[in-house]
Amino acid sequence: MTKAGFSARSNLLGAIAWMRWRLFVNSLRTRRGKLELASRAVVGLGFAIFGFGGAAGMGAAAFFFLWGGKPELLALLLWPIFFFWQGFPIMATAFTNNPDSSELLRFPLNYSSYFLVRLAYGAADPASALGSLWSLGILAGVGFARPRLIPWALLVLLAFAAFNLLFLQLLFAWIERWLARRRTREIMGIMFLLLVLGVQLIGPLLGYWQNRRWPETHRFVELLIPLQKILPPGLAARSIAQVALSQFTAGFYSLVLLSAFGFAVGYCLHRRLLAQYRGESLSQTSAGSVVPKDRRLRLGWNLPGFASPVAAVFEKETRSLLRSGPVLLTLIMPIFFLVIFRLGPLNFARHPGTAFLGHTSGMVFPAAAGLALLTLTNLVYNNFGGDGSGAQFFYACPVKFHDIVLGKNVTHAGILALQTVVMWVVVACLFGRPSIDITIVSLVGLFAATVNFFVGNLLSIYAPKKSDYATFGRQRASQITVLIGMGVQVLVVVMAGGAFWAARHYGSVWIGNLILLMLVVVSLAAYRAILGRIDRFAEQRKEMLIAELCRA
Amino acid sequence: MDAAPTICTQSLTRRFGEFVAVDGIDLRVPAGQFFGFLGPNGAGKSTTIRMLTGLLAPSSGRIEILGLDLATHAVEVKRQIGVVPEGMALFGRLTGYEFLNFAGRMYGLDRETAASRTVELLDFMQLADQPKKLVADYSHGMQKKLAMAAAVIHGPKVLFLDEPFEGLDAIAAGTLKAMLQGMIARGATIFLTSHVLEIVERLCSHVAIIHHGRLVAQGALEELRAGVEAQTPAVAGGSLGSRGERMTLEQMFLRTVGGTRTDQELSWLV
Repeated sequence: MTKAGFSARSNLLGAIAWMRWRLFVNSLRTRRGKLELASRAVVGLGFAIFGFGGAAGMGAAAFFFLWGGKPELLALLLWPIFFFWQGFPIMATAFTNNPDSSELLRFPLNYSSYFLVRLAYGAADPASALGSLWSLGILAGVGFARPRLIPWALLVLLAFAAFNLLFLQLLFAWIERWLARRRTREIMGIMFLLLVLGVQLIGPLLGYWQNRRWPETHRFVELLIPLQKILPPGLAARSIAQVALSQFTAGFYSLVLLSAFGFAVGYCLHRRLLAQYRGESLSQTSAGSVVPKDRRLRLGWNLPGFASPVAAVFEKETRSLLRSGPVLLTLIMPIFFLVIFRLGPLNFARHPGTAFLGHTSGMVFPAAAGLALLTLTNLVYNNFGGDGSGAQFFYACPVKFHDIVLGKNVTHAGILALQTVVMWVVVACLFGRPSIDITIVSLVGLFAATVNFFVGNLLSIYAPKKSDYATFGRQRASQITVLIGMGVQVLVVVMAGGAFWAARHYGSVWIGNLILLMLVVVSLAAYRAILGRIDRFAEQRKEMLIAELCRA
Repeated sequence: MDAAPTICTQSLTRRFGEFVAVDGIDLRVPAGQFFGFLGPNGAGKSTTIRMLTGLLAPSSGRIEILGLDLATHAVEVKRQIGVVPEGMALFGRLTGYEFLNFAGRMYGLDRETAASRTVELLDFMQLADQPKKLVADYSHGMQKKLAMAAAVIHGPKVLFLDEPFEGLDAIAAGTLKAMLQGMIARGATIFLTSHVLEIVERLCSHVAIIHHGRLVAQGALEELRAGVEAQTPAVAGGSLGSRGERMTLEQMFLRTVGGTRTDQELSWLV
């Protein structure tokens, strides 16, 4: 490259680095940006602990594998690194708005600079940092066990890291535009959360099946073992293991094969990026299909006993929530917890009398109903958050806020009722049918939770926060809402706990019901009073509410 | 004596802290007119339209729409007006059909009427061929058309439009203009802001110009034009008044707000 060409490239790369730096600095102008930085610092600390802890663990494991004469087991470490390195960044895009580096193509960037920028973006990814750190841990473990292996292990792990980096970029080159779409991002987010929940199930499931025979599983694992040996993580482990066992030629061939994978992936990435550089975008989606005009009259929902605007808001809220993967997943979360408890701590069929809560299984339904209520908190305490700039419509139309808020409350109460019924059925199936006494006291307790609705209505007006039902991330509630919400939950839990304690102590569930009924009366009175004044509050807070929710 | 204006403000003022965005304006919009509200960027147009539609409270002053005080009869006024605000005020997770149906019911239509007008409007706005598409996935132009449809679904007597033609293709803009002119012919009043002065000149019979939060001109377009032309000396060889040509709205606008195009040249541009 000529000196002028090198200077032009440095200038461009410098400009991109400066642009990203300014984006970061400018984001700190707002309080939200500063909070974002603070939360990133906390997350960064968590990542650092995870990274260094993982590296220490990987190092120790590598040391013992080499020390124990079983270096081929290094594959057990390299496969998880591979899956994390590839899987985490893709799943994490569901939580953020992914910057599209192909936007840089509007500038006169030459192809090699574009390729370098893409790799640099990838190398700065937390997963790459953690993957590299863990690989270093393995190197250290190998080095402590067999110091003479360090140069070879370093070479192999470098090839492994390069493969991972290129492979991740190749995956991203294909799917980044796909992930930029709302619906696909939601699907990936749901898959990620299901994966996290699935991990929670591993322990209980292992415990549950530990004494059972599964010949099909064994056969499947036997098939996988030779297959993994010819794939990059297995090849990397094999290369180190073969050299450790003085099989230098075989180790060399394994490294060559690993490098061949790297070159093949690099070549595919080059082809893809070159095509993208020339203006092609294979992942660009086609326009939505055009269907014949739909002239059917579909009437809006009717809600007996409520005015038409209340029913219209109820329909609008229900449709919006049903289309939000993240919200739906949050609402069904309590069922997962019940399953986990059933398979794990509450699996008292295997350990009668010793399991956690084993002697108080009657409390499962009240706990599940409480959990269902908690999952609604974000919606109830931020009624207008999901409306975004649509909140202006409520101020422009000739409907009182009383009706709008009532419509939203009815929706949330309906969801809570449905969740409670589902919880009752799930508890009945997994733990046995809850007694009538427990069911009644739990339902009365839920009515007492009307306190959440009136406080939620106030906070929705006084501390709104725009939220996107399509993404999981960046959905922080306002700090005031968080604090007051916690206070209310503590109050409800204390009241409900007190009622249950009194019922147990005096041996009569009706005492508990009486205490909770008092809370119901107070909550309902407060709810009515607040709802009656909600128009005044909404008018007073109009400017702030619209400004906050219309924020880009 | 003139008939009572449809929109009337008295000393309408809006402050944001120290900054006075709208400074005591007295607007008079006659009934049945297409009224253009013009001003440079940041002059106070959107702030005014938000106050007139009840989306922003004035710091002081009074607003009357159709003879009703907006402060005391907000719901009655809102029932008779339609609005397309700056942010369009849509709900992204509904389909176009669902949103229009919802808007119709919120404006007091019964379920049957709301549904039948929804179908008609989607067809009219050429939005009926993707019935399952969510509003969030609409293009900017489609969202604009949907917002417009929602603003007229209840047949308002007064329509407030903030930059209605921005982002619309030529076909959609033509359809919309025809619809708005039809509304005027049936007696509605339309109050619009736009930076495309050619459109305003073609559509509007009356205009007002706001600059630094103050009204600097208001009245029938032809009267204003005559007034500005009378104050402008003929320029030999120039475009104003030299060969009996009428002044364009753009020229009037520039004269009124005192804006001039810079003569500075960027020598490095090809």
